[in-house]
Amino acid sequence: MNPLPQKSDPIEAATVWAVRHDRGLTAAEQDEFSQWLAADPGHRAAWAEARWGWDELDRLAGLQTSVHAPADPDLLLPRRRRWLAPVYRFALPALAAAAVLALGFVIFFARPAAKPADPLTAPRQLALIEQRTLPDGSTVELNRGAVIAEEFSDGLRRVRLLRGEAHFQVVRDPARPFVVEAAGVAVRAVGTAFNVRLETTAVEVLVTEGRVRVDDAVRGESLLAAAPAGEPPVLVAGQSARVDLAPTAVPQVAAISAAELEQRLAWMPRLLDFTNAPMPEIVAAFNRGNPVQLTLGDALLADMRLSATFRSDNVEGFVRLMESEFGLRAEWRGDEIVLRQAR
Amino acid sequence: MPPPDSELARWFAEEVQPHEPALRAWLRARFPTIGDTDDLVQEAYARLLRVRGTGSVACARAFLFITARNLALNQLRHLRYESPGDLTENAASGVLDEGAAIPESVARAEDLQLLIHAIQSLPERCRQVLTLRKIYGFTQKETAARLGIAEHTVEAQGAIGLRKCIEYFRRHGYQPRP
Repeated sequence: MNPLPQKSDPIEAATVWAVRHDRGLTAAEQDEFSQWLAADPGHRAAWAEARWGWDELDRLAGLQTSVHAPADPDLLLPRRRRWLAPVYRFALPALAAAAVLALGFVIFFARPAAKPADPLTAPRQLALIEQRTLPDGSTVELNRGAVIAEEFSDGLRRVRLLRGEAHFQVVRDPARPFVVEAAGVAVRAVGTAFNVRLETTAVEVLVTEGRVRVDDAVRGESLLAAAPAGEPPVLVAGQSARVDLAPTAVPQVAAISAAELEQRLAWMPRLLDFTNAPMPEIVAAFNRGNPVQLTLGDALLADMRLSATFRSDNVEGFVRLMESEFGLRAEWRGDEIVLRQAR
Repeated sequence: MPPPDSELARWFAEEVQPHEPALRAWLRARFPTIGDTDDLVQEAYARLLRVRGTGSVACARAFLFITARNLALNQLRHLRYESPGDLTENAASGVLDEGAAIPESVARAEDLQLLIHAIQSLPERCRQVLTLRKIYGFTQKETAARLGIAEHTVEAQGAIGLRKCIEYFRRHGYQPRP
């Protein structure tokens, strides 16, 4: 790849990187990109803007005059104003908003080499737990497959959990309540941390810090039994509520022990830091929080020791590193990955 | 428990989820080496919802298929598991074969009009590249084949086109919305 020219406006380089990212970076480009990003504080903002712009254009996907018409590179040629009747003056509000880019970084002490994977062991990629920062600075961790939609306004920070499970760490702002809605259940917080899981027939709320209200999203009434002193009922840290979506069901509130809490939140990624650690220990650490389980298929591997830092949900990265740098072979069997010495 | 009443939830249920079986079947047929389509489908949903939450989408189905296809291609590339020729065919065929043309009311949405005008303001090659890539969802390789130009030219023109679009956005106060 040609080296990028050093330009004064970083948007030029940023757009080159956005297009390259879209077609996939080579290992060398990945390094070059990381260096470029770190080289100047302005590069990250330019990169965010370029990525945003590139993605914005996807709104036009499928825009055509007829679904059966052949692809026409000149579809938007200005003289062909068949249905694209102009012209509006655009007065879009100049609302500043930081484009939050979820750039995940994995720290390797050893970098995987660009070596083709063996087709026989065709791995599938595991989605990472996504960490997202909301416009108010609150953070969300989305468990695999979770989908949320943010609807923030001046008076309310609302997030809809459309499927799956998420953990919210809420920045305190009494003037602007933070509400998570899932299937008609509204979980209200001012400054707190909690986990919401949307299941097929129930919504489960687990409070890890502070307190939340659990309300009917439409009527606004609490779904919890009233507290004795006329206080509005709340769920406090270490408690969980399970709201059955059947119309007549009464929510089940339960206290959660510290051990249980840890186990229930095991899906959230941590940074696993190993120093000269034996393989069985490393494998066990990964297996604690992941649906995919690693096993060691060779007795010899039990003696192998390793120093590395990984995100606990990045099993795939770990496996690829083992393959590329340590001469292991991975065999994917459904939800199990067996590691062996390559031979 | 009352049903969730939000417009977004209704839209998701009525205009997005009905495409899921077709999307999954297409992904399985198109990318047999990707064993599990769940992550692709969910990530495509997540992207669609983010975009829909901040403006208009011309065609949810096309967005979904093209996004899932791009994610799948990234995954295969990422895994360096690409077999030659496998990804050069018209990967977008079949994506847009169903469903009606975009209603004029949708195409007239202000934000879509601004995006259209941004592309219309580009020099010819840039405009053609971005049209094929973004509206028809062709990959860089497919776009190069369609236009009969080298892939690196498509890449360079795509980057120039994107930069000019961003400059157009800046001039018109079009910015990321919360």
